[in-house]
Amino acid sequence: MIELYSIGKEAACLNSSFILSFFMRGRFTALMLLVHLLAVALLIHVIVRCFVSLRRGRRIQEAVIYLSKEPGDEKIPVLYWENSIGREKTCDILLSEPGVSRDHAVLKRREGGWIIADTNSRAGTFVNEQKIETQTPIRPGDRIRIGEAQLVLTARDEPSQTAPQRKVYRGGRTIFTLLETTAVFFLLTLEACFQNQSFRLSPFLPFLLLSTLVWGVYLYSIVLLKRINFEIETVGLLLTGIGVLLLFGVDPQTAYVQLAAAALGILLFCAILWILEKPDFVSKLRIGFEVLGVALFAATFVFGTVVNGAKNWIFLGSLSIQPSELVKIIFIFAGASTLDRLQTHGNLIEFIAFAAVCTGFLFLMHDFGSAVIFFFTFLLIAFMRSGSVRTVVLAVAAAALGVFLILQFKPYVAQRFAGWGHVWEYPYDSLGYQQTRTLTYIASGGLFGSGLGNGYLKNIFAGDSDLVFGVLCEELGLVFALAVCSVFDLLALYTLSDVTRSRSTIYSISSCAAAGLLLFQAMVNIFGVTDLLPLTGVTLPFISAGGSSMVCVWGLIAFIKASDERTYGARRRRDL
Amino acid sequence: MRTVGKRSFFLYVLIFAFCAGMIFLSCRVFLNAGEWASMPFNAHLYDENDRLRRGSVYDRNGTLLYSDADGYAAASKEALLHLLGDREGNLSTGVFSLYAAELSGYNPLTGNAREGNLFHTKTELTVSAEASARAYELLGGRSGAVFVYNYETGEVLCSVSTPSFDPDHVPETIETDEAYRGAYLDKTISESFTPGSIFKIVTAACAIENLPDWESWRCKCSGTLPIGDDCVTCLGAHGEIGIRDGLKYSCNVVFAELARELGKEKLRKTAEALGFGRSFVFETAHTARSVFDVSNAKEIDLGWAGVGQYSDRTTPYHMALLMGVIAGGGKSAQPYFVRKIALSPGVALYTGAEEDAPLNLSPQTAGALRGMLRENVSDYYGDALFPDLQAGAKTGTAEVGEGKEDTAWIIGFLQNPKTPYAFAVVIEEGGSGYRAAGSVASEVLAVLCAE
Ligand SMILES: [Zn+2]
Repeated sequence: MIELYSIGKEAACLNSSFILSFFMRGRFTALMLLVHLLAVALLIHVIVRCFVSLRRGRRIQEAVIYLSKEPGDEKIPVLYWENSIGREKTCDILLSEPGVSRDHAVLKRREGGWIIADTNSRAGTFVNEQKIETQTPIRPGDRIRIGEAQLVLTARDEPSQTAPQRKVYRGGRTIFTLLETTAVFFLLTLEACFQNQSFRLSPFLPFLLLSTLVWGVYLYSIVLLKRINFEIETVGLLLTGIGVLLLFGVDPQTAYVQLAAAALGILLFCAILWILEKPDFVSKLRIGFEVLGVALFAATFVFGTVVNGAKNWIFLGSLSIQPSELVKIIFIFAGASTLDRLQTHGNLIEFIAFAAVCTGFLFLMHDFGSAVIFFFTFLLIAFMRSGSVRTVVLAVAAAALGVFLILQFKPYVAQRFAGWGHVWEYPYDSLGYQQTRTLTYIASGGLFGSGLGNGYLKNIFAGDSDLVFGVLCEELGLVFALAVCSVFDLLALYTLSDVTRSRSTIYSISSCAAAGLLLFQAMVNIFGVTDLLPLTGVTLPFISAGGSSMVCVWGLIAFIKASDERTYGARRRRDL
Repeated sequence: MRTVGKRSFFLYVLIFAFCAGMIFLSCRVFLNAGEWASMPFNAHLYDENDRLRRGSVYDRNGTLLYSDADGYAAASKEALLHLLGDREGNLSTGVFSLYAAELSGYNPLTGNAREGNLFHTKTELTVSAEASARAYELLGGRSGAVFVYNYETGEVLCSVSTPSFDPDHVPETIETDEAYRGAYLDKTISESFTPGSIFKIVTAACAIENLPDWESWRCKCSGTLPIGDDCVTCLGAHGEIGIRDGLKYSCNVVFAELARELGKEKLRKTAEALGFGRSFVFETAHTARSVFDVSNAKEIDLGWAGVGQYSDRTTPYHMALLMGVIAGGGKSAQPYFVRKIALSPGVALYTGAEEDAPLNLSPQTAGALRGMLRENVSDYYGDALFPDLQAGAKTGTAEVGEGKEDTAWIIGFLQNPKTPYAFAVVIEEGGSGYRAAGSVASEVLAVLCAE
């Protein structure tokens, strides 16, 4: 009761004239604050625009083509790019006639037209009374027999009556969004120029390089490839740029490395988009990816160097690489699959073995943060592929047992996380040193931060990597940091909303896995340094210093980009 | 395709977890930011010379007490050391420690990182530098405390604790020298003393509330009150005597007898209602607990507990508060000493506010006690002690044993409408309460009332 008395007094008294008088004090501070507020507003606007544009760009889910049942005139709408046909209630095209297997066949659309593939049905699938062995192209008018069901592929003859002729959404005015993005960078650069109340011009160098990169990617994608969607790239460039400018205040060298890594990452982004264009081909590369992943880990294990307790670095001359970051991409490639492959090679054992090897290596290297991220991504992919709750439960149980055994035999591992949940009891030793500094500087930054370059958290160990969320809050404020973090959530949300509209389950699975991985990694990082989760030392995607991480993140968003139906659409129309 | 789509709900869980986590984190930051931002390792708290940024601090009359540029004001640096705080942060109950975040300019909107190096704060305290310096001088190197506050507004006018030291030249022997024992404690709130006779007010309050015929209650004082093999002794043989005169002449027999008659339970209840057994929040610091514990007391112990000996303990802050509540007819404002912390004129980061003190005393009992304490001064101590101020007071001379001199107390209040002040003065090994503590109180109040 007596404590209640104190609360009223403790609450800082903010009278109504606060904001007004705030601007009257020191013109310089007020001006810098205005610059910052403008940057925040533009940032939020760019993010909103990108995601609104992504949502508007989605296809209306209506029939692409029909299957007419004979006899009678029942027309079964075909809604997706890949459709399962069978007796099972979960099938996209449900047939209850005798002789239909549970998962009988898959009807899918590819560049060349429609293809039907039998998925190990008992009675077989017949096209024009010919039993098919492999994937068989079909055209409108072809007769398909599945069990006792007779179907005819029927084109949508007249424009849909429910929806008027629809134009493909051209992705908003991409160029304006990109101009705004450049403006955000410009304002942040301006902030950085006035570090500690002195003026310097040097931040304009990374600004110019960034702008070149941004507009270069734009020219390549929109002008050269004639793609119509640019939202994912915009968001990625936006976050990359914020990271680079933030790191410039820590150490210009790091910022330039980061910028180079981003350029490399964009190359990987393009390469992955190119590979993913042929989903059936990607499915065949699976074994190759798995071998490459294991080989990379094995190489790290043998030739790797221990940095900060985790042996996950390979040094090639002055170049240091974190192979586990690259394996993340490989991991998703290995996990994703087309629908017909899912139904004919539904067995998870190979993927489980690959995941177990990856996670095992990471544990042996003492990179627990990455191990947890791999494990989570495994769960996501395994569940999307099999829908088996049992697999997930078994995997979690196995992981729990593994963790238990590790804690039994290596108790010092648990000791690393002993401060979790009560870091304020250990502000001066390793259990809480970084977390308490992070929280203190987040608090000091308030809603609008100290201004780019004026922070102190960057001087704490791992300030530019693990603690970078704290640096972001301290220098740019909580509002800015929350806006940046919302991107991870929005990417996942968009991926989900687009999951059945993609051109193949290979895109659905890989984009969900990539978005989930990014979001999960952001969570482990942000909640780790703020003591909601144990601090494991993973990077914050796009923002943390780290070349390998930056390259990997760009690779990951390529999967999300690939799941957007429009990504490969524009080029096809050009060919016609 | 549809099935794969449905199985992606997994991701919704993650999206929700991320949102929930971010909201939780933001709430946690919002609720704790002030405390976190004031951690001593926060580099934003320091100026370019690595000194804590505290802006400037003024007293109630606009006298500068401290500024980042000039340090402590020479005239009051020892007297107000405990209210301000030392440079090293050893004094945790001063304004420097309690409001470290606000003094650095911290506010929930812009934190304290942005304009940190450009602006400093201006803090106004409610105390009087002159009266505090006088109180420090009057304590004259003895260990003790003086606490005066306005029971109508809660403003603390004087709060001095000794021994003190010069914060600019911390004595090297501060840890070892007996003369500096307790220098790092603010004795007005952080140390509890044996109350002695001033506790009789609590016993009297219990009697007034529990004995319908307390006005006519009588007992016989022959200088001692035998209880079992032992006895409670009185300073004189007061003959047949009631409660009113017993308080005036501080007759131990009256209050020992009353304590036995009222019993442990009733005394405990009254003591608790008047704040014994708990800690008060002064600004944001917690005071030492006052003690009245007779749970294991024998009858003779209960007798001594009734006259403020046995295990009884109290703080000057608490006793002044009790006086304020009696003078205020059962109600007093809760004391505070930080009037305002402002970033620049008009931008208040913190404003002290009036609140009621958490003591429960009925207006009738308060009225009766007020009358009796007023009579103490007018009929017994003499109004010369507090001329024209309509003071009520009670002195105490508490035995502490261990071969030490008695602890001298005086607690009281002024009923003068212009100066509604309540006060408590304690001097360790000061001897007679009336002579030692009374003279200090008299002079400090004279300075305050002249302001
Ligand atoms: Zn007597």
